[in-house]
Parts: sequence; structure tokens; C-alpha cells
Amino acid sequence: MPPGTKGDSSDVTASLPCLPSAEGDAIKVFVRIRPPVEGSLCGGDGDQGLCLTALSPNTLRLHSKPEPKIFTFDHVANIDATQESVFSCVAKNIVESCMNGYNGTIFAYGQTGSGKTFTMLGPSESDNFSHNLRGVIPRSFEYLFFLINREKEKAGDGKSFLCKCSFIEIYNEQIFDLLDSASPGLFLREHIKKGVFVVGAVEQAVASAAEAYQVLSMGWRNRRVASTSMNRESSRSHAVFTVTIESMEKINDVVNIRSSQLNLVDLAGSERQKDTHTEGVRLKEAGSINRSLSCLGQVITALVDVANGRQRHVCYRDSKLTFLLRDSLGGNAKTFIIANVHPGSKCFGETLSTLQFAQRAKLIKNKAVVNEDTQGNVS
Amino acid sequence: MADCWLRLCETYKCAVHLSEVESKADPENEPYRSKYKARELLREIRAKLCPQDEEDTAGSEEKERAVGSWGTIGENWGSVLAARLGVLEFRLGQNHTETEEMSAGEEHLVRSGRIMERYRLSEEGVSVYIQSQNNLGILWADRGEIRVAQTYLESAESLYFHYMKEVGKPPIDPDEHFYPEVQKLTEQERSKRFERVYTHTLYYLAQVYKHLKQDEKAAQYCHTTLQRQLEYDSYNPVEWAINAATLSQYYLTKQCYMEARHCLAAANVVFTKAGQIPSAEAAKENEVEQERLDLLGQKKADIARCWVKYCLNLLQDARKKLEDNIGELDVDMQVELKSQRKREEDKKEKGQKKAVLFGSSDIYDSILAAEEKVNCYYPLDFKEAREVFLVGQDYINEAKEFFQLDGHVTDHIEIIQDHSALFKVLAFFEEDYERRCKMHKRRIDMLEPLCKELNPQYYLLVCRQLQFELADTFYEMMDLKVAIGNKLDEMDSHTIKKINSLALAAIKYYEMFLDSLRGPDKIFPEKLEEDVLRPAMVAKFHIARLYGKLISNDGKKQLENMQTSLSYYFYLVDYCATHEEAIKSVETELELSKEMVSLLPTRMERLRVRLASFT
Repeated sequence: MPPGTKGDSSDVTASLPCLPSAEGDAIKVFVRIRPPVEGSLCGGDGDQGLCLTALSPNTLRLHSKPEPKIFTFDHVANIDATQESVFSCVAKNIVESCMNGYNGTIFAYGQTGSGKTFTMLGPSESDNFSHNLRGVIPRSFEYLFFLINREKEKAGDGKSFLCKCSFIEIYNEQIFDLLDSASPGLFLREHIKKGVFVVGAVEQAVASAAEAYQVLSMGWRNRRVASTSMNRESSRSHAVFTVTIESMEKINDVVNIRSSQLNLVDLAGSERQKDTHTEGVRLKEAGSINRSLSCLGQVITALVDVANGRQRHVCYRDSKLTFLLRDSLGGNAKTFIIANVHPGSKCFGETLSTLQFAQRAKLIKNKAVVNEDTQGNVS
Repeated sequence: MADCWLRLCETYKCAVHLSEVESKADPENEPYRSKYKARELLREIRAKLCPQDEEDTAGSEEKERAVGSWGTIGENWGSVLAARLGVLEFRLGQNHTETEEMSAGEEHLVRSGRIMERYRLSEEGVSVYIQSQNNLGILWADRGEIRVAQTYLESAESLYFHYMKEVGKPPIDPDEHFYPEVQKLTEQERSKRFERVYTHTLYYLAQVYKHLKQDEKAAQYCHTTLQRQLEYDSYNPVEWAINAATLSQYYLTKQCYMEARHCLAAANVVFTKAGQIPSAEAAKENEVEQERLDLLGQKKADIARCWVKYCLNLLQDARKKLEDNIGELDVDMQVELKSQRKREEDKKEKGQKKAVLFGSSDIYDSILAAEEKVNCYYPLDFKEAREVFLVGQDYINEAKEFFQLDGHVTDHIEIIQDHSALFKVLAFFEEDYERRCKMHKRRIDMLEPLCKELNPQYYLLVCRQLQFELADTFYEMMDLKVAIGNKLDEMDSHTIKKINSLALAAIKYYEMFLDSLRGPDKIFPEKLEEDVLRPAMVAKFHIARLYGKLISNDGKKQLENMQTSLSYYFYLVDYCATHEEAIKSVETELELSKEMVSLLPTRMERLRVRLASFT
């Protein structure tokens, strides 16, 4: 059999709900290698232990056989990288541009256990905001409010800020409000001035980093509750925490209002995608003989998607996640993907697919170019 | 003995139930509990049926001998027993693959195939045989060996044909081999089940061909799968309609308009079976019903949008065929294409359509009727183009009913953009320039309000598209007005004013587009991103031309305009000099710009001299 038929690279993106393309280098990729669990290094882990090595601040080597693979990203953080260094590399810039009225998004991607939650939140046992291992999200809050206070001091009474948080979860293509666990499934809508929003999602005003963190931990607890009841599992859901920053500036009698969004996204564990048979060359089964072939559409959509260059409309397209985030990826937003990987050789397969995904994410370019077909009449 | 048999049947039924129904409720930490139970039961049955066959100790040859020896009682009895064993092996194989024990699964499936080999063309055997081949196909695809999968599935496919041709009688369903005598299925039910087995073969093949990048074949198998779902009524109308509509979009990309139209017409017809709209009032009270209606509305609009693309592509392709080298309607070509089409139609009268057609008899006529509403050949004159345009416009309105601006901004704008594109291509067929201008005016009227309202912070890309299209439309209108004006003996002041205002409007939108490329610091980027490079250069080039076209009696003003024009031409030349990679995407524009950069200064000098002599 030709080995070339294995692991078709185009399937790698399919394993994540395809992110909408963003412009230029709006998407940056940061790879973080977590340290292996203590004790697993010496013995225990079968063969030599680690399957990857960071070579430089932006390359790493994956020990695949027979040939090792080299990957290049915007940044590679080795196992000894501190939370502070991750924050300043990934989030600092994004928070700053949010203050300037731009939207920003940070994704964490990777298999369960690769350190997404640690990176984004910090160690799970401590709800302590001041813990020195706290993650990107609490640090972003601190920095955001630090900047806000500085602005306020500079501008005096002239400038005021309003920050609102919402926290939702997308599970099975349904949207739940983590700030109001009693609410039923919610819907996405678009507004000509405000972009995409979740109808009826609770928006909590916050005035300090501590308050924002409180909202976050409350929602996070709801998420955990959800994950233990019946058949839901947290790693199968995407959690999106959004801070809307509105500033109002009064210069003489003119009022200048600016608003922007910071989205912090904890994606579902990437290994879970296997269950939905979206990976590799697997055939989608029809199940028992009497059931309908509900996946036929996916095959057809793939056919239409490949054939490019002509006007067409594909009926199945958006996932809720990509829809929700499409404006923050739509051009003038700053986006960072943090790809978390576990260096253990047991995780080789997952690590490879995470790295491949991350590498493809870097290549994502905006396909929806400006229509321009007036080449003919230039005389 | 009969009792014993009934008990076996009962056990079999139990196993199937465990595997197909109960397994879905298995707890997360024991995902295969019911499957393992089912496996035990299947083994039990096999041991009873074939006592001398100790699992995995007896070689397969021995087993076949066992079957063979029973066969001496009578050919028929042999095939019955073989079928039963084959079914068990098939079920066991399926069970093992479902519980991720691939090699064991493969062994069972292969054994099932071997047992059934002799009987694969019989009523008893054909269905089991095809199903184990199907499962082997899935199994090998899971291992990443798509070519092996293909072999199994193609062999299943050809067996089906062979059987239908040689025997043709509805075969016995695998499960039926374990039904007590009284519960036998009707012929009709048998045929239905068998046809579904084959439909699955085709469905898996569609995926296999997709993975092998044989798109055309994959599409053909999707098409046939849809057709068979329709024929053996195992489909959900909405899902089916959406699939057919999506498939039409594949045909569009291949310029197969007849097939695309057929898919769309069928989508329309089948969609009406989805059980529509009781009353909006009743729905208001019931949230679930409201949700269902909403979804139906969206799907209907989605199908309409597929139709819009059909009309649009048909018109645009027709335009491409009819264009002369400066993009105007070529009348000679028109005549030639018309007579060519006439010849083809005469020919077609005799031959039949070769494409697969959808339809069981009852809906076939409705599909044909739906098809008749629009042509599938290229429109060659204004009248024909207008017919296609009108159909497209109706679907635009239908799509807009669901995708309203409030709530569905992006989709709504996409639809409006299609509407504008329809007008644009229709204008190509219009010979009267005044009327053509009016069509472009319609485009302005639908795009301009959107462009004003839209927040570029969230819709930057759409804003850019709208700005650019508006600029281009004004530009086109200006060109038309100039052409109209040139036919007059002398341009009146009204025409001049009109030309200038159109040119200024075009400039305004091009500038808006260019401004959107500026960074947060308001500085125009030194190096343009690849995806905006060409539009940005074209915008600069068009602005240069527009300044050159502005009509003014005031010599000073004229000089100023020329100066501005020159600076824009110069930008292009300069940019390409420092960024050589840009040259290939703006070759024509660059050439003309270079020419203008060398010509304009002389012209300006002449004008300056003339102005000086006046004062």
C-alpha cells in the first residue's frame, strides 16, 4: 500500500472546528511544552521518555522515526518557561491593542492533559488570584485594569471605562451561559454595529481585576458542575470568556465612545475529535442499516469546498464556535493560538497532530478577498 | 429440537438488541459493556449451531468440511446452515471492529466471506456477503489503507449487479436467518433491506473516492446515494434537500448546469415534503415548534441561495463566452453561439439525457416541472439573460426573508452582493447605455446604505468589499456617461456635472478602501499584504485615471488634477520598483502607469505654458 494515503495533511485542520481564516499574520502561534509529570521521566514511561526538544525560541524537533521533524512557530516555550513569560509574550500585546479599540482573541489548543487549563488559569487547586503560578487569564485581567487605571489618571474625569464580562460554553453545537446555569440553550445573532453576540447571555459589569476573576471562577465552577453531571464532559466543550471594554472620552462637548472585545477561549481537548470520526481517512459509518446516512452531507461539502474559484454557496458551514469568533478573526483583530503539548513519548500521536494543526493555523490566510474583476477595461 | 431453535433465535435477537440499542446507553467508563455481552451471546449460538467447531482451535478448512458434510443432506440445507454461520461470523466481526479489536474483527469477517463464497449468488447468501465486504472496507479504511478498502467495496458493488442480473429475487435479510418460521419478512421488506445494504456500499465508496481525490467519481456516488435514498424512502426530506442543493454547487464548479439544475429542482420538491408550517400563532406558544420552523426557514433560504449561485454562474459564464477582448458584447460571437446551440438542440432531441436523474415516479414529474422554470443553457441575448436574472432575483428575495439584516448581517450582505452581481452581469447584455447605467444605479442603491451602517471594527473585510464594489460601480457608470456624452455633438453642462460627480464618488470609495488598509497609527503600510495587494494597486490606478478624467474649465484646477493623477501613477511605478514581487499581479496597470508617468509631465508643461500665455 502506498504510505502516502495515510494521515492526509488536509485532515488535520478538519479535526478542529475549522477556524475562520484571518488576515495576513493576524494569527500567531505559540507552542508551549509542559513539563512531564514528576516521576514519569525516570522509568515508568516506557521508552526514553521525551518525544520532543525545543531547539531555539521558535523551533522544536519532534523525535519521529525514521526522520525527526522540525517545526517552526512564532514562539516555542520550553518546559521551564514561566507563566509570566508566557503572558508577556502572548497576551500583553493583545491586551494593549484592546485598549486601543481593537478586538483580540487568545485560544488554547491541545489534548486533554497538555496543560491548557494551567496555561490559561493556573493550578486548579488554588482559586487564589495572587498565586505566582496564575495563568494568562488572571494576568490579563490585572494588566487590563492596570492600563485602565493609568488611562484614567492621565485623563482625569474626561475618560471613563466600562468593562463587562460574559462566559459561555459551547457543547454539542449548543450554547450555554456559565454565568446563569439555569438558562436554556442560547442563540447567536449578528448586529450591524456590534458584530456577533449571544442573545440573552448574562453580562456582568466589573470594576477591577478581582471582580473579573470572581466572575471567571464562578463560571468555571459551573463548568465543572456540568462536567460531572450525567454525560457531559468538560473537555468536550469549548469555553469562551469575553471581556467587553468600553471607553468614553469627553473632549469639550464631543463624546467619543470606543469598544472592543477580548476573547479568551479554552478549546475542547483535541483528542476528542477522534470520537466524531473526523480524523484521518476513517469512513463515516452509516450505523445500523435502518438509519439515514446523515453524514453524506459532509462528503459532499468536502467536494464543494475543494473545487475553488467559482461562486458557490455551501449549505453546511459554520460551527457555533467559528461563528461566534468570526469577527474577532475577521481582519483587524489580534489572535494568538497557544498550542499546548505534552512531551511524553506516549503522547506522540496527539502531539504530532497538535503541531501540524498549529502549523496550518499559521498558514491560514483570508480567502475572502476583495472582489476585483475589472482587469479588462483599463484603456 | 424446534424449541431449541426458538431459543437460539431469541438469543440472537437479544444479541442484536444489546449491540444496537442498549450499547448506546453504556456508561463512559465501560463503553463496550453491551457489546461484550452481545459477543458472548453470539459465541454461544455458534457453539450450539456447530458443536464440533471449538473456537479458534479448529482450522477454517475443517469448518468448511463441517459445513460441506451437512451439505450432503441437500444442497439447500447446506446453504441455510452456511448462511447462519456466515451471519454469526459477520456479526462477530462487526462486534470486534466496533470494540476496536481490528485483527479479530478482520478474521471473523474474512471467515464469514469464506463460508459464504459458494453461496454469494444465492438468496440466502448475497446480503451477508455484501455486508461483510462493506465492513471489511470500513475496517481497512480505519487502518489507513484506503486502496484495500476500495477493493472490498468495489467487489461488493459488482456482486450486487451480478446478483440482480442473474437472480434478481429479493434476498433473505441476514437477521432473518434467525427468525422463527412464522416471522418471515415480506418480499417487499426484504428488497428494501437489501437495497439499503447496497446503498451503504455506494455511500462508503463515495467516501473512499473522496479520500482518493477522485472527486468526479465521489460526486457521482453521492448523487447515486441520494437517488437511492429517494427510491427506497429512507431519508429525511430536509437533510436530503440540503444535500442535493449542496451537490448542485459541486456541479456548478464543474460547469455542469443541467445536473446542477436537476439537483436544485429536486431539492425544492423534496423540501416541500418536510411537513410545513402549521400556523405561526401555534408556533409562538411552543418553543420547540418555533425552533423547528426557524430551522426550516433557514434551510429553505439556503436552498434559495444555491439557486442564486446557479443563476449567477450561468450568466457569468455566458458573459465570458460572449465577451470580446475589451469586455464588451461580441455580436458576431452571439450569432455563432446561437446557431451552434440550435444544432446541438436538434441533436439532443434524438438522444436522451445521460445524467442520473432523481425521482421515484411520484415526484419525478414535479421535479421536471420545477426544472422548466429556468434554462440550463447559456443565455445569449438580453431577453434570455433577463429570464435567468429574474429567477435569480426571486430567489434573492426568498433568501432575504430569512437572512434579514438584523440578526444575520454577514449572510444578508452576501445575498445583497449576489444581487448586485446579478445586476452587473445583466447590464453586460443590455445594449442601451442609459438603461445600463440605471442597472448600476440599482447596485449603488442597495450597497451604499449597508456600507454606511456597517461597523468596520467587526466587519472590516465586508466593508472593504463593499467600498471596492461601490467604487467600481461608480467608475463604470462614469465610463458609460462618458461614452454617452461622446456621442453627442457637444457635452452639455448637465452631462459634465454628472460625469464629475460620478468620478468623485468613485474616488471617495477607493480612498475609503485604501484608508481601511492603514494601521492603528493611520499610516499607510509600506508593504501591502498579499491578499490586498492587487485591489490596492487597482484602486490607486483607478484613482489616477479618474483624476485624469475629471472635466474642468478651470486650467489651474485641471493642472492640479493632472498633478494628483501623476502622483498616483507614480505610486504604482515606485511600489513595483521597490517590491518586485508585486509586478506580476499588476502587469497591465504597471505598463500603462509607466507610460503615463512619462507622458503626463510633458502634457502638464504644455498646459502650464498655455495658462501662462493667457495671463
